[in-house]
Amino acid sequence: MHCNNHHHQENKNYSRRDFLTKTSLGLGALSIGSLISPVNAYGKSEFLNLLDSEKMKLPHFIPKAKRVIYLFQSGAPSQLDLFDYKPKLNEMFGKEVPKSIIGEQRLTGMSSGQNSFPMAGTLFQFKQHGQSGASMSELMPYTSKIADDLCFIKSMYTDAINHDPAMTMIQTGSELPGRPSIGSWLSYGLGTDNKNLPEFVVLVTKGKNGQPLYSRLWGNGFLPSQYQGVQFRSGKDAVLYLDNPPGVTSGIREEQLKSLKKLQNIQHADIGDPEILTKISNYEMAFRMQTSVPEVMDISDEPDYIFDLYGEDSKNPGTFAANCLLARKLAEKDVKFIQLYHRGWDQHGNLPRDIKTQAKETDQATAALIQDLKQRGLLEDTLVIWGGEFGRTNYSQGMLKPDNYGRDHHPRCFTIFMAGAGVKKGVTIGATDDFGYNITERPVHIHDFQATLMHLLGIDHEKLTFKFQGRRYRLTDVHGKLVNEVLA
Amino acid sequence: MLSEILDFLGSLHPLIVHLPIGIILLTIAIDVFMRNKNNSIQRVITMGWFFSFFSGLLAVLFGWFLGDNGYYLESQITIHRWSGVALVGVFFIIWILRYLNFRFSRSTNRSINMTAIFLLLVTGHYGGEMTHGQNYLFENLPYVKKKISVMSISEVKRSETDSIFVYEDLVYPVFEEKCMACHNQNQTYGGLNMSSFESIVKGGKSGAGIQKGSPFESLVYKRVSFPQNHPKFMPPTGVPLSYDQIAILEWWIDNGAERQMPVTLARKEPKIQRLMELQYGLDLREKSYLETLKLRTLSQNDLKALEDERYIWRFINPEESFLDVKFTAKKIQTPDLLNIQKVKENVTWLNLTDCMLNDDHLNYLSAFPNLTRLKIQRNQSVTDSGIEALKELKNLNELNLYGTRISDAAFISLGKIKSLKKLFVWNTLVTPGGIQSFIEQHPEVEVIGGL
Repeated sequence: MHCNNHHHQENKNYSRRDFLTKTSLGLGALSIGSLISPVNAYGKSEFLNLLDSEKMKLPHFIPKAKRVIYLFQSGAPSQLDLFDYKPKLNEMFGKEVPKSIIGEQRLTGMSSGQNSFPMAGTLFQFKQHGQSGASMSELMPYTSKIADDLCFIKSMYTDAINHDPAMTMIQTGSELPGRPSIGSWLSYGLGTDNKNLPEFVVLVTKGKNGQPLYSRLWGNGFLPSQYQGVQFRSGKDAVLYLDNPPGVTSGIREEQLKSLKKLQNIQHADIGDPEILTKISNYEMAFRMQTSVPEVMDISDEPDYIFDLYGEDSKNPGTFAANCLLARKLAEKDVKFIQLYHRGWDQHGNLPRDIKTQAKETDQATAALIQDLKQRGLLEDTLVIWGGEFGRTNYSQGMLKPDNYGRDHHPRCFTIFMAGAGVKKGVTIGATDDFGYNITERPVHIHDFQATLMHLLGIDHEKLTFKFQGRRYRLTDVHGKLVNEVLA
Repeated sequence: MLSEILDFLGSLHPLIVHLPIGIILLTIAIDVFMRNKNNSIQRVITMGWFFSFFSGLLAVLFGWFLGDNGYYLESQITIHRWSGVALVGVFFIIWILRYLNFRFSRSTNRSINMTAIFLLLVTGHYGGEMTHGQNYLFENLPYVKKKISVMSISEVKRSETDSIFVYEDLVYPVFEEKCMACHNQNQTYGGLNMSSFESIVKGGKSGAGIQKGSPFESLVYKRVSFPQNHPKFMPPTGVPLSYDQIAILEWWIDNGAERQMPVTLARKEPKIQRLMELQYGLDLREKSYLETLKLRTLSQNDLKALEDERYIWRFINPEESFLDVKFTAKKIQTPDLLNIQKVKENVTWLNLTDCMLNDDHLNYLSAFPNLTRLKIQRNQSVTDSGIEALKELKNLNELNLYGTRISDAAFISLGKIKSLKKLFVWNTLVTPGGIQSFIEQHPEVEVIGGL
């Protein structure tokens, strides 16, 4: 079966409105095309490709990665306490941040009223790790052991200053809700490698508080709804309402779906709405998931040393560690985009205490996941990303005490790391100033990061588009430049 | 377009700025010497010619001294110098004749004026070229092709970085543009001829042009990297070498200044690599086998072999010639492998994980010429004897054998796969000692044998 088939097929079935727009614009454009270059009018001219980017051949070049595991750290982890070591802040602990450093920066309403912006050096010990000498704090003892497998970007920056727009930005490429998320774009562009599971799966750590998560973060936006992320929950029903009700056997359910499909096909033949096809495929996927999901969620086969690797938490469904283990299993099953969310990094106060808990919950499992993928050979074609939506300030929000401080939102710089397919190992890209406030080397915007992610999957981010409301959209919209330094 | 025209007008400033200087002085002179004397316009004109002659004479004299101090080349000065002298001569003749009240006819007068203007333009233009560099006048005009060395590397060549040489493609074009006007077979200023590699190395009167391995003892490098006001700075006129041109020159001499040094050597020097990427658009990253491979596009007919639901496949390149194939059923059988063999040229990645693959099956995999990635992990029936068949795979980079029953004996066959870069043997019967001795013999292979 050709993996890209289904979205091609869908384009062959037009709604009435589709028919009218396609024929009027399409035929008009065709005639313009033949005026410009008569030879190319019916060939594979670039002009027509631009008009109908769905027909572009994907991937645009040989991919390095076949799938992505995105360990999203929601709330924005403090880069200054984890990765970006600034001894100057300890030296000048409690002194005011120089005016020249803050400049005309817009601060959030939470700290802009402060009379004083005392610099808060980290309370945690930093060390350089591995051959690459990447600096990481004592909060990440496990991850620091695999520093030589990681690629740090210390010069990430974003436009947004608050969580919701910043998360929407990094997940969908726009601060405003309504755009498809990264996973949906990939699913739309590359199709499936496993017909029994969704291409885009979401796992959220249970029982965490903090900034809310919205399902639109893994939504399909204006793409057909079959490309949305599917959340797998911990506990009895991984996917809600998937199981048959008591008394309904699998055979009965299959018969029922067959009949339903007949009816839906009649309806589709009648009005030709492409969403009907999406509906049919959703039902079929759900039916196949009745067996595939319990299978992939079942971790009873895992040997003890694997649980030991991921940590004690991994036996407890719904924890970050258990989700990391699941992520590996989903990667083994060729799920294209596996999105994890771990909330609770938004430490405006009591940072030293809270960040310890957060790091403990994520550190071991993150390192374990990367190592486990590596020994299975999956790291060759899987890209792992760890990071939040922005950074945290170098000054203390609220009162600075010798043993306590908080940090406000800081969009001007933050650190993420990547590992795996096509990414350089043991390198650090970009740098910030001695105060950890501004970027001094190789700024990487969210869109640049997204462009690079797409590139690793074999997609030219400027070419994967979808026409909606009269214009073509892409993940990076009109922005984004490939970060070449990341590529191995 | 508009900004280019504005740039062009801007470059005319040094020319136009001369006008008010002369005109103001002349106006003041008229004001001082001729006021209240009821002078006729003819006398004013005569005095104008006198001033032209007098100031021109001073300019010639001072210019002569300037030209003699060695900053400029004889070939550049000649026209400027002698047209300047001629111009002053013309001024003198006109002034003398007018002073003697000689009456010119209208047409003679016109042609004399024309001659003066013509000589003025010639002198001025060549003077400008000396101070502002050749082509200074037109280089800012739109549609004038700019001389940038990036142009010297053709698109075709740029895609095949292996065939680009530092000297021939990057260094020599710079010499040609910046130095060859004065240092060639016919004109060897300072005894230096830069028209051939050997003669550049040999250098001129002051010493060797290039000391291989030491840029700071190579005169060619030293002269272009001096401060620009240094008397020996080269080139003496025109636009100096750019930062990247000097950096590449230094790097090239530092690394032995061989004529056939490939640009791919810059991979060892990230800064130079980045510079070449930015300045010349050269992508020097190492190309994988697949990136250099060209295969014909597969037809629908070819793909019939993979129509079965149990295969998941996709193209991994837009030309639709490289296949990534995965077998998804629980048990694979010989006919399934024969099916895949029908597109064996095109299968570049093959995934036969956990499908009860056995040693006999592996024989069907030996004839895949372009297979670079093979995943046959978690097949309990794969043993050392089956692995032997894989040594025929000439382009295999990555082989995943974890969870099979291979042992240290498999390393003998595996060592014969010359293209192998990565090997996964976790959860097999191989021993750490076996891995160790394999790595010692094949340091180019990364073996991942578990944590």
